[in-house]
Amino acid sequence: MRLLLVEDNVPLADELIASLQRQGYAVDWLADGRDAVYQGQSEPYDLIILDLGLPGLPGLEVLTQWRAAALAIPVLILTARGSWAERIEGLKAGADDYLTKPFHPEELQLRIQALLRRARGLANQPRLEAAGLHLDEGRQCVVREGVDVQLTAAEFRLLRYFMLHPQQVLSKSHLAEHLYDGETERDSNVLEVHVNHLRRKLGRSVIETRRGQGYVYAGSSNG
Amino acid sequence: MKSIQARLSLGLVAVLVVVGVAVAQVTLWLFEAGLQRYLEAGLRKESENLLVALVRGPNGLQLDERRISAAYQRPFSGYYFRIDFEQGTWRSRSLWDLDMPKLARPGLEDGHELGPEGQQLLAYRGDYRRLGQDISISVAQDYSPVREGFRRLQQIGLGMGVLALLLILVLQRITVTRSLRPLERARQQIAQLQQGQRSQLDAQVPSELQPLVDQVNHLLAHTEDSLRRSRNALGNLGHALKTPLAVLLSLASSERLRDLPEVQVQLREQLEQIQQRLARELNRARLAGDALPGAQFDCDAELPGLLSTLGMIHGEGLLLARDVPPGLLLPWDREDLLELLGNLLDNACKWADSEVRLGIEATAEGYRLWVDDDGPGIPGEAREQVLERGSRLDEQVDGHGLGLGIVRDIVEAWEGRITLLESPLGGLRVSIELPRKGR
Repeated sequence: MRLLLVEDNVPLADELIASLQRQGYAVDWLADGRDAVYQGQSEPYDLIILDLGLPGLPGLEVLTQWRAAALAIPVLILTARGSWAERIEGLKAGADDYLTKPFHPEELQLRIQALLRRARGLANQPRLEAAGLHLDEGRQCVVREGVDVQLTAAEFRLLRYFMLHPQQVLSKSHLAEHLYDGETERDSNVLEVHVNHLRRKLGRSVIETRRGQGYVYAGSSNG
Repeated sequence: MKSIQARLSLGLVAVLVVVGVAVAQVTLWLFEAGLQRYLEAGLRKESENLLVALVRGPNGLQLDERRISAAYQRPFSGYYFRIDFEQGTWRSRSLWDLDMPKLARPGLEDGHELGPEGQQLLAYRGDYRRLGQDISISVAQDYSPVREGFRRLQQIGLGMGVLALLLILVLQRITVTRSLRPLERARQQIAQLQQGQRSQLDAQVPSELQPLVDQVNHLLAHTEDSLRRSRNALGNLGHALKTPLAVLLSLASSERLRDLPEVQVQLREQLEQIQQRLARELNRARLAGDALPGAQFDCDAELPGLLSTLGMIHGEGLLLARDVPPGLLLPWDREDLLELLGNLLDNACKWADSEVRLGIEATAEGYRLWVDDDGPGIPGEAREQVLERGSRLDEQVDGHGLGLGIVRDIVEAWEGRITLLESPLGGLRVSIELPRKGR
């Protein structure tokens, strides 16, 4: 999962990036509204966290421009302006959720998980479930037939992306774009290694290879 | 303060009475003076006739009976004379047994009372010299009918004066009402302003009212502007404080403090207190309260946005219904009301199982707002406490606590009343009664 964080307060951004990366998200960070308008549209993000008080261009204006350009990525607004009048304005401008500062890091984590699931049409699930596997996002492990299977951070990230996109053909470059932030070296061999690790832990049939196209998550039900 | 209408009427009546009485009196006096001059000429002629009737007889002077008018013969006829000369006094027969005193000096004189009928006499004395004697002839005429006539004239005049006064008052009332209509319109507009039915006074007014209306409009704009600026400043302050707070909260729960759990707990508790206090006070400071007389809240325009926002926050599974008459306008600031309803509904949504209902209705005293949920509710004895303490019944879900505190601040600023009841849906009903403004 690759997120864009648009936040002009550096200490807060540092904290958020650290916390989000611990949760297995690839995070790109921008502090200026004008940059955000461009980069939000040019990079394939899965979710955007947007502060409203931004230098360059106000957050609401950024959001309005994105929605005008038919950008459908879920946007979570993060703001110190918590009045209901402002919340309504934010959601009318096209936000998908609204979190007021100060907030508990767990609250943000839950909102992000819920938004990502909702964007995939998997609303109101406390845990991520797909084709026989349960992913516990808090503990970063997977449950198969009632048995916990521990995952490394990289495996967790990869599996989560697969489980949020079941039965879809995902190319290596697509996976790389959504699993790594803009500054990481993208090496498709590393992806192959992680896919193999997952197969070893969860069974060969969990992820099928479509030659020349990419991978498809099949889960353990038919395996 | 008396009304302008009453003042004008009173002033007009006073002026009309003083001027009317003075003019009528002077007119009567002038008229009477003219009449007396005319009658004086007649009386002089009469005295001359009597003088001519004096003839020399065998016993000295003699009055030729044939030459004097018959009216002097009939008793109390109203025409009298008295002739004084050296040998004695002659009185006309009409005087009968009464005495008409000799006038003190020649010329006209009025005001003598005579006889049983109280006749008022207008008398004239002429002094002549004839047949070698000084003769003083006094002639008198009954003046009562004239006096009577004048009195009647006075009464008629008074009656007509009163009638005219009434007519003038009625006409004046109409004129004044008509010319004060802009004032009345301004008064009604100010009432509408307080009811929230308009936000500005009509600027199309007579030049006398223009400065007043302009000033009121200016003040309204100024109040609105300073409210917006202070809200903006508070927003900035909130932003400046809340972002560092968010950093601290994030730090407090970070990995780096894992080895110091006590410090972590302390930090989180203190930060939470700061956060609650900050949110509460900033919200309180943002309240417009009664500062804006022209404020209004259009339920039809605002509620759908609010409900869909809540629906988005709390998930699609919750049924959010409203029971609000169409076209209802509430006379309070939009942001204040959104804050009130947002917090109430948010609170209800946090506790509800599946349904939250909002109701608003206009009552005789003002407006009633209520929010129902089908959650667990609050037992009767605990409800008082929730309200009394600004409510921190549940500190874990920062809903009932903080939300209701803000709601209570707003309701207090509007001099309303908040009660917690049992909802027909099974959970809690928060009912708020707000008095109408501008009373």
